[in-house]
Amino acid sequence: MIAALKSIQAGRAFALLAALFLVAFGVAVVLLALDQQRVVDATSRLQEQTVPEIIRFQRLARNLEQLRQEGERIFAVSSHASRQQSMFVVTLIASHPSILEHPGAAQLARETEQFLGDVVRQAATDDRRPATRYDEWQRIAARLGMQVDDVSVQGINQANSDLVVATTAMKLARYKLMIALLLVGVFLLVFMVLVRRHLIYPLQRINHALSTLSADRPAPEFEASTMLEIQAVEESISEHHALLIQNEETRLALEKLANKDGLTGLTNRRHFMQSAEVELQRAQRYRRPVTAAMADLDFFKKLNDTYGHAAGDAVLRAFADLVQDTLRQSDLVCRYGGEEFAFLFPEIGPAETEKLAERLRVRCAAMEVPLPDGRSIKATVSIGLADASECPIEIALKHADEALYEAKRLGRNRVMVSCPPEPAVDSEPDTRTASLF
Amino acid sequence: MLAADQPALRVLVLDNAPPMSFRDEFGHLTGFSVEIARAVCSEMRVNCTFDVTTQSAMLPAMSQGKADIAAVGLLETPERRARMLFAKPYYRSMSLWLARPGVAPGRAGVRVAVVDGSVQEAYGRKQGWEMHVVATHGELAEPLLSGKAQAVLAPMITAINLQKTEAFRQLGLATTVIQAPELSGDAAFGISPFRPELQKEINAALDRIKRNGTYDRINSRFLPFRVS
Repeated sequence: MIAALKSIQAGRAFALLAALFLVAFGVAVVLLALDQQRVVDATSRLQEQTVPEIIRFQRLARNLEQLRQEGERIFAVSSHASRQQSMFVVTLIASHPSILEHPGAAQLARETEQFLGDVVRQAATDDRRPATRYDEWQRIAARLGMQVDDVSVQGINQANSDLVVATTAMKLARYKLMIALLLVGVFLLVFMVLVRRHLIYPLQRINHALSTLSADRPAPEFEASTMLEIQAVEESISEHHALLIQNEETRLALEKLANKDGLTGLTNRRHFMQSAEVELQRAQRYRRPVTAAMADLDFFKKLNDTYGHAAGDAVLRAFADLVQDTLRQSDLVCRYGGEEFAFLFPEIGPAETEKLAERLRVRCAAMEVPLPDGRSIKATVSIGLADASECPIEIALKHADEALYEAKRLGRNRVMVSCPPEPAVDSEPDTRTASLF
Repeated sequence: MLAADQPALRVLVLDNAPPMSFRDEFGHLTGFSVEIARAVCSEMRVNCTFDVTTQSAMLPAMSQGKADIAAVGLLETPERRARMLFAKPYYRSMSLWLARPGVAPGRAGVRVAVVDGSVQEAYGRKQGWEMHVVATHGELAEPLLSGKAQAVLAPMITAINLQKTEAFRQLGLATTVIQAPELSGDAAFGISPFRPELQKEINAALDRIKRNGTYDRINSRFLPFRVS
């Protein structure tokens, strides 16, 4: 059972709960309806059977009372005819089925009839005789009075059993109603708790996870949910996160591919120009020294012709490695085209840059590039430097290129610094334009 | 429930059987049975027309469907049951033998006054009595007063009425309750065999007037004690 509950479909779980609730509530309603039916039965019995029965007892009491009145009349009147008429009514009442069906009343009525019959017969012969028996009559009359009371109460009591049944049923119904309401309350509570725990909380977690989902952050971790639907969504989120990371890696790889020169692994010209532009603007804003440079491998066409393009490529790769090894971390470099390389040296002026370039030239000249056939070749480099702190990158590179041309002209394998530009009036807009970008 | 616009129910009553049914000093029909019938009609919310008949003409009229209700206190007998329906009883009756002391029922030479078509007449005939038959309950005293009859066998309530007249009391008759099943018991209205649907309505109306006090007021008005 526990194992089965480990994972369950939300729809089925709530349908099961609803079915349980319906069954429990239905049973409660049926029980209530049964109690109500008992009350209805008891009250209709009260009306259809008991009330007529009560009235029957009232009529019996009325007849017993009538018997007593007729008896009083027999003693009160002096006319024999009136006594006889009363005696006639006494006989009728005492013989009437309504009296006969009640044993106590029938017995007393018979005694009364016999006594009064005696009295009437005696009175026929002697008018004074009735007075002597009046005490005796008083006792019978008192018993008649008591019998009237008994019969009345007996009649009223007929209602008691019906009322007890109705009251008991009503009380039971009240308890059952309370239990039913409690049941509804408990089920609603359980329902709310389950909805919160298994739907709302997981949804909040999912919402949080989705809003913070990023390749920079670790994959969101979810507590194990019992709801299959929630589990599915959470698994999808984890898969989505993995995909994000994969996409980011692909993006970075593509970016690298786009910015690198395929042969040397240095940045390509386009990327260099973007980075240099940014670096130059920063330097010019803070009035920091910055120097541009152009380098060109000497006699590279001849080297290609002599040793083949593969050897040329090996030399280019070896020079690129040397550059990366020699320059500072912050220096920018790119393969500008063919055997030509461009540089930007932040934070140092042409004089200091010349030392750095000189070291590169010396190490290049000392470098031997081994070829697959066992031979090794050497190469030299010419470098032109130009101050870039007051002009756009294109102009600075043009000046550096001019210095490079000068180095070539003067016999190659040397570093030349471009003459600092005259602070001419017509150069002002260029500076301003550069600082604007 | 019967609709109010239905034709009036035809009710048969006796007009010379005091205090059950008689004409008052203004000639209006009244009495215990007549007023109970009126109360039942009013409970059923129907109009009733009253037709006067005699005890002997009542049963043929009912069996031929000439009336819907016989508002007469009738004891159930096989003969009556075969020819009409009965409502719930509305009182309990018995039969009284009134004769000079010592004149027992069935003695030779005793002529018994009875009402034509009554259970008392049927009983006397069965017993082989000599009888003086009269048409109405109101005529029962005369044969005794004139000496044409020596005893009377009458329903309880009729006997009460006989005792009311001084001349009758002067006869000094003794009262005996005849304990025969066919002479006592539940008395009920007759219902036309052609209108069986009336039975339920009439019974319900009787139940209601017995509960709501109408019945007891009528009882007190006409009779000296409770007869239900």
